[in-house]
Amino acid sequence: MLQTFAYVRAGSLNDAVKQLDGPGARVHAGGTDLLGCLRDDVMSAEKVVSISRLDDLRGITPAADGGLRIGALTTIADLAAHPGIAEKYAALAQAAAVVASPQLRNQGTIGGNLCQRPRCWYFRGDYHCTRKGGDMCYAIGGENQYHAIFGGGACWIVHPSDTAPALVALDAKLRLISAKGARMVPAEKFFVLPDENAQKENVLAPGELVTEILLPPMPAGMKSAYRKVRARGSWDFAMAGMALTLTMKADKVADARIVLSGVAPIPWRLQAVEKLIIGQKLDAKLMTKAADLAVVGAKPLEQNAYKVAMVRGIVAEGLEKLL
Amino acid sequence: MKPEDLYFWDGPLPETQAPTSTPEPWTETKVVGKPVTRVDAYDRVSGSAIYPSDVILPDMLHAAILSCPHAHAMVKKVDTSAAAKTPGVRAILVDGQVGANVPWYGGRSGFASRLFDPHCRYEGDEVAVVAADTIYQAWDAVRAIKVEYDVLPRVTTVAEAMKPTAPAVRDGGNVPQAPPPYSRGDVDAAFKTADVVLEHTFTTPCELHNPMELFGCVVKWDGPRLTVWESTQGVYAVQSTVARALNLPLANVRVIGHYMGGGFGAKLDTGKYSIMAALLAKKTGRPVRLFVSREEACRSMGNRPANTITLKAAAKKDGTLVALQSRVVGSGGAYSEGGTGGVDFVIRELYACPNVKCENQSAYVNAGPQRAFRAPGHPQGAWALEGMMDALAAKLGMDPVDLRLKNIALVSQSRNGNPPYSTTGFADCLREGAKTFGWADARRKPQAPAHIKRGVGVAGGMWQGGSGGPPATVIVKLFADGSANLNMGAADIGCGTKTWGAQIVSEELGVPLDRISIEHADTGTTQFATPSGGSKTAPTESPAIHAAAFDVKQQLMGMAAEQLKLPAADLELRGGEVVSKTDPAKKVALGQIQAFGRRGLLVGIGYRGMNPAGKAVNPFAVHFAEVEVNTRTGEVKVVRFLAAHDSGRILNLKTFQNQVFGGITMGIGFGLTEDRVMDDKQLGKVLSANLHDYKLPTALDAPADKTVVVVDLHDTFSSTGAKGVGEPATIPTAPAIANAVCHAIGVRLTDAPMSRARVLRALAAQKPAPASQKRGE
Repeated sequence: MLQTFAYVRAGSLNDAVKQLDGPGARVHAGGTDLLGCLRDDVMSAEKVVSISRLDDLRGITPAADGGLRIGALTTIADLAAHPGIAEKYAALAQAAAVVASPQLRNQGTIGGNLCQRPRCWYFRGDYHCTRKGGDMCYAIGGENQYHAIFGGGACWIVHPSDTAPALVALDAKLRLISAKGARMVPAEKFFVLPDENAQKENVLAPGELVTEILLPPMPAGMKSAYRKVRARGSWDFAMAGMALTLTMKADKVADARIVLSGVAPIPWRLQAVEKLIIGQKLDAKLMTKAADLAVVGAKPLEQNAYKVAMVRGIVAEGLEKLL
Repeated sequence: MKPEDLYFWDGPLPETQAPTSTPEPWTETKVVGKPVTRVDAYDRVSGSAIYPSDVILPDMLHAAILSCPHAHAMVKKVDTSAAAKTPGVRAILVDGQVGANVPWYGGRSGFASRLFDPHCRYEGDEVAVVAADTIYQAWDAVRAIKVEYDVLPRVTTVAEAMKPTAPAVRDGGNVPQAPPPYSRGDVDAAFKTADVVLEHTFTTPCELHNPMELFGCVVKWDGPRLTVWESTQGVYAVQSTVARALNLPLANVRVIGHYMGGGFGAKLDTGKYSIMAALLAKKTGRPVRLFVSREEACRSMGNRPANTITLKAAAKKDGTLVALQSRVVGSGGAYSEGGTGGVDFVIRELYACPNVKCENQSAYVNAGPQRAFRAPGHPQGAWALEGMMDALAAKLGMDPVDLRLKNIALVSQSRNGNPPYSTTGFADCLREGAKTFGWADARRKPQAPAHIKRGVGVAGGMWQGGSGGPPATVIVKLFADGSANLNMGAADIGCGTKTWGAQIVSEELGVPLDRISIEHADTGTTQFATPSGGSKTAPTESPAIHAAAFDVKQQLMGMAAEQLKLPAADLELRGGEVVSKTDPAKKVALGQIQAFGRRGLLVGIGYRGMNPAGKAVNPFAVHFAEVEVNTRTGEVKVVRFLAAHDSGRILNLKTFQNQVFGGITMGIGFGLTEDRVMDDKQLGKVLSANLHDYKLPTALDAPADKTVVVVDLHDTFSSTGAKGVGEPATIPTAPAIANAVCHAIGVRLTDAPMSRARVLRALAAQKPAPASQKRGE
């Protein structure tokens, strides 16, 4: 049923890194995406390295700088239920709470959620598309109602993660490790557009894995939220969504970060909109302007122009609600 | 649709022996109708119930199917040499092998092909099957089979298939001869003189059944005899198909289907898988388990055809309907011409209307064949008709409930001789439903200025079947200790058949439910039954069960009368004793009836008699929905739902309500989320062949606030008076939601499902609503 591969359960992070250092090795955390990908022949594996014994990578702990450290093996369910996250980093808690279904949230990890492969039905299906090394994106001339309106090109996937836009909005950093050593990457710099590389969604080098996520201490008065629109009430990826952070000073916006999900191959930050509202009083007129600006540059395909209206609606609704 | 099509039986239906004695309908009941918990509830939720896919036999092999990955192809060569050498492989079957060239008919009305027909007419047509020691080895071997295909031009849409230049899905053309149009009165004349004429085109999605338990069976040979444990709605239908395909005596094919995890019409009959499993088991001399994968089920195990329905309607100023004209187009896929079956029934029948014309056009396409799907055609027909009724009400400035009440039909207008309905609770469903729902107030409630709009809608429906009828033979045994056994051929497909069956036995014989055992759905030990489908299991089986229990009771009374030296008519069964009605001091406990004790066992047989001549028996339903529509995101949330049903007598209130809740949930899928997506413009493959891309509604899509209103007009068409409910429960749901959406946002959506995209598109194209559609009118 699956391709034949070697299976290794790493005893330590060092061991995992060593095991992953070679061609064809894949990290197995929660496995909710990996096993499906292998079953559907979306990608190959010569060796599957389980990191389930690496308890150091599990849990949410205070960081020295006053922020939080989230181990990459922390389940999405634990993230959604953590009171500290809900209190200070509401966008992340809300994003985690709307990931997939309860079963998948119990099994899936935050690291895996960031590294999951896209859900494009051509990529997942029996189509040799650009992302799988072919020379054609079937979404362009095919069924593209769920595809990207921003950042497309060689490939029109949308990034499937809900937690990723929240982490970008919250200015989180990811700690990555491989046989070559460890490095820190801002969440925003973690994801890769198809025009840079249409066969990978992030900067992870072969054999490299995410070990933890660092949330910076939150400025006083900062509020955040995540909103997701999906085709049904649960167990679905975003058609469009938005992670939003907003810090008010008196009646003006002191700082804001707005990141969309479900509309681009990466979490899609709306810096122009942020610039528009920072320093301003956020009245109804400005909110409308912000919503309009949010979709400037959108390039819908044949069936997904509705996402333009949807994004406009989500931005307007989100700003109103968080104010 | 012919009765045989609803009953999934070849040729004329078997007749049942005429009933010997028929009990009178109950006037009051102690057990029947009560909200009793399922007799097998513990087994179902604890996991001790053995579903066919749970069956494990010693030495059992596991089988997997290789299916064609192309929408249209000819198999040129199948090379199994590498696959045969993979570990654990015990047998591989392909076309041309001895014993494998089994004739096959795509659905009972489909054209002839064969088990591994080299002409693959859709993505999913079967090419080979493998049996191995484990399912993983079977799948590995399937991957190792090399097939050379001649990929052919394909056509996957009806519009394309009907063009003369379209690739041929089959010899004889893609367009089967259209049935003659249905017609009564003169629609053209009526349209000319009517006060109001409207025309809309409605479309509906191709829905996939997606039962929780997949399609398949476990088979085992004992010499010439074959036993099949199959997930099915009808063990006798499976027996007939397997025996015919393998040329076996019916007596040598035993089919057992005690439990099954959902069918919704797709499991009324078996599929190629049972034949393949039997052939593999024969070849290897070992039992074989063959269940298809979820993806194969989505591609090959049936669907509700997508339909395009153009509906023209005319009415007088006072709301009297004068004409309805429909044209329905659809495809039953590559093997079935039934792309439009059942769609126009509600159009012909639900409302009193003198002038009606219905035309249907089907075409073969390179896609998976349709199978009966919960009320075949009816949800599609109701989607169009009930959307149209709402539009007419708006145009006429009438309340949608009032418009429907204005056009109640008391006779079956499309049946020969226009027989009256035995009962029709349609008007009561409208009135009682509207009252309990608070329709008038909810309809007039002012709209909030916010971007989330609220609305309420109503829709009605009826089901073509639901009367039940012969054949049915049921045996009830009463043991000397007063415990009983109910033996019937019908499957309990999740509707609670076993439970209300036991309730009827308990009602009649006074045996507590926990002292009644049930044998059912086994061609080896139970009597002939048609498949559980067509909402006919309760109306068919319940009078037969009643008669069988009554037969036992008659015998018992006779014995007690002799012993007590009283006339049998003076006796009644009360709390385990036979008691004189006139002198309650004269009585005898069951255990003390000497003749019964000597016999040790009483056997009663019940037959299902005919329904009364000159009457039409149909269930009716009216659904009310309240929705919230987010006009910025297109999200539609069903926040409140009420379903009013006339299904005659309710046998068990709890399972009845649960069936209605299930029907509502399925209707929410039709109306809001479900749609098989095919790559029509490119390779013609199914893109939504899994439970993520095929959007079944989830618990969060169904409202917690659901109410069932029971309308029971004491129908006496049978001794139990029970009509069906399984299918009516899902017929009016989606249009009720659509009409609520229209009330909320002032724009009518005519395409189902009402996806976020479609709602946003409709809002973008919105023109100011005419005055009559505004609130409070």
